[in-house]
Amino acid sequence: MSKEIFYWQALNQALDAEMSKDDTVFILGEDVGLYGGSYRVTEGLHAKYGDWRVRDTPISEGSFTGLGVGAAMVEMRPIVEIMTINFSLLALDAITNMATKVPFMSSGQFPMPLVIRMPGGVAKQLAAQHSQRLEQTLMNIPGVRIAVPATPQDAWWQTRQAIRSNEAIIILEHELLYFSKGILDKTAPAPPMHRAMIRREGRNLTIISYSRMSLLAEQAATQLADEGIDAEVIDLRSLNPIDWDRCVASVEKTHRLLIVEEDSLFAGAGAEIAATLGERCFYSLDAPISRHAGLDLPTPYNGKLEAASIPTVTSIKQAARALTQTENAK
Amino acid sequence: MKRTPVTMPVLSDTMETGHLVRWLKKPGDPVKKGDVLAEVESDKAIMDVEAFQDGYLSGPLAPEDSDVPVREVIAYISDEKPGPDSQSADETPAMEKTPAQDSDSQADDQSVDKSRDQSTNKTNVDAPQRTQESESESESGSEPESDSEQESEKVSVSANADAQAQTQKQTQSTDSISQAKASPYARGLAMELGVPLNQVAPSADGVIHANNVLSAALQGPAPNLDAGPAWKLHAFTPMRRSVAEHMQQAGKTPTFHVSARLSLELLAKQSKQQKHSFTLLLAQAAAQTIKEMPLFNAAYTPLGLAYRNQIDIGIAMDIPGGLVTPVLRDVAGRSLDELEQSWRALKQKAKQQRLLKEDYQGGTFYISNLGMFPLVDNFDAIVPLGSAAILAIAALQDGKASVTLSADHRVVYGADCARFLEKLNDKILGFN
Repeated sequence: MSKEIFYWQALNQALDAEMSKDDTVFILGEDVGLYGGSYRVTEGLHAKYGDWRVRDTPISEGSFTGLGVGAAMVEMRPIVEIMTINFSLLALDAITNMATKVPFMSSGQFPMPLVIRMPGGVAKQLAAQHSQRLEQTLMNIPGVRIAVPATPQDAWWQTRQAIRSNEAIIILEHELLYFSKGILDKTAPAPPMHRAMIRREGRNLTIISYSRMSLLAEQAATQLADEGIDAEVIDLRSLNPIDWDRCVASVEKTHRLLIVEEDSLFAGAGAEIAATLGERCFYSLDAPISRHAGLDLPTPYNGKLEAASIPTVTSIKQAARALTQTENAK
Repeated sequence: MKRTPVTMPVLSDTMETGHLVRWLKKPGDPVKKGDVLAEVESDKAIMDVEAFQDGYLSGPLAPEDSDVPVREVIAYISDEKPGPDSQSADETPAMEKTPAQDSDSQADDQSVDKSRDQSTNKTNVDAPQRTQESESESESGSEPESDSEQESEKVSVSANADAQAQTQKQTQSTDSISQAKASPYARGLAMELGVPLNQVAPSADGVIHANNVLSAALQGPAPNLDAGPAWKLHAFTPMRRSVAEHMQQAGKTPTFHVSARLSLELLAKQSKQQKHSFTLLLAQAAAQTIKEMPLFNAAYTPLGLAYRNQIDIGIAMDIPGGLVTPVLRDVAGRSLDELEQSWRALKQKAKQQRLLKEDYQGGTFYISNLGMFPLVDNFDAIVPLGSAAILAIAALQDGKASVTLSADHRVVYGADCARFLEKLNDKILGFN
């Protein structure tokens, strides 16, 4: 039983499914209640579960994320929605010093079944302060799990898995994905939470990407096939941990690796992927690993400049061509 | 000042690099649209690179006698005469970075003066890498017997840290093959397959990739020269590479040879009287023979024999620096005068190395004539792919010459060849 729905609907249904099963699951954040969330993700849940389980909070990310940490310590299953990743900077203390340290420093006496959801990414002219990705900031915190679902199906699977998990998990959504559509099959068995997925099989190069960029990479790969370039596309689905085995197997097959990320190039997620796969796949590489990423600058407000600051299907194709053009045409 | 790049043209589908033969203009020279700026060699032809707009040629120019990847910038045309500053920059070879010295990223930013100042430094940096990468070569090649001074300097680069930037520039095109970097995967493959890396030709980017190693491995074992005397590598010219590749492919054809002594005296006489080329008369006789035996105009393909509806004869020609086979079209269907005209034009083009693809591709039968070497009394030739046979003609002795038909046994058989030669003999004798 599968049908095409919006990404936000998949999230909404995942939250609903878990809340209806488990009384300890509750939501808190800005405008999540009566308003239904800025991207409609909590729509209808306030009416269904009431004030106590869908709680509107003041505009204070530090305090309500901390509140989530406290609730998780006493075995509630809080889902904290931060309106955008740009505001999560105010909650970094709760995430870094509390959520990931409490279980470690208490030798596991306190559990941390905390889920923090937030959208990030370049959307449509939201300007520099509202267009950040910040994956690298969160990836560098030891002990925090990060899921990056790109499709409604993954949003459904990974949100439910995150809620059931006893580790602190951040779900990074993308502002341009909420109103993208995809098939949701609720009966399909879920792959492990942090398993990377091969979106397209290929022989000539591996493109590793995640979130919205993995969809663009897949489109680019389909078009590259017409030019005779057969690209394998891996959607990481998780940035911590990363499913290295799947990545290594692919690079050992194709011998060429292109990493596509929306976040800035310098010290980004791609740098980590390139470094680790450079170590693990050195003798299989037939060309230097190539990273194709956002420019190292605050996102411009001007629409054209904004679009030019991050990878596009066209630019991904160019990067793939550049990586494979050393091949003889034979 | 607006500068428009001039790029290495793509002259054929398979072309990856072009060989820049020489510049016909200097930096700062005014150029008009259509002016020839440079000559570029690909496969078997030398082509002109023309200016596509008016302006002044400005550098950096790609160095002469170097291989440049297609679409790479080889010069600029600027709308103003370049000033003295840019003049000096003009001397910096655009190709400084590629292919041998890719790692030396600094070199890119340096003006000529600077890079000369630091040449000692630079060479020092390069030296260990060079010796390491081509250990086998520099060991045996460090004291070469060389033809010219420049070349002797070039080989000692690895040993002599004082080598000048100038000589270095000139060494690149020839040294790049043995000095090329290899990808880790290519290195591993080369080790596993026992292919010496210093004998693998790199890709267009100057780096040895896995498929370069694979194609080297498929070409069969490379000779181990290190056991012998010192040697020095001369990179293939595009023509030599092309001939080598074609012969390699043709070597897989199951070939046999049938020889006969034919009386060619009449033909030679006729050639003198009528002032027609001897080769041309032979080609015509062969074409008349093929017309009656169309099997000799067929080609083997995995799906069956391909019979062609026109007899196009490729004629091997000895030219400086190599071998070309201009193809005379429709030999059976055209008059001797028409053929003579086409043949003269082809010979002219071949001598100037100006043959185009359509001039030398697609022969259905081939002729190789060594009749101008009186001592050669017999030889055979290799059947080019796409044809059934090639006719080799030795020198005339006592009015007769040994003629050998080398043939693809998948297309024609021994008796066919015998009949062919008999028929050819009739044609030749019946010419008057």
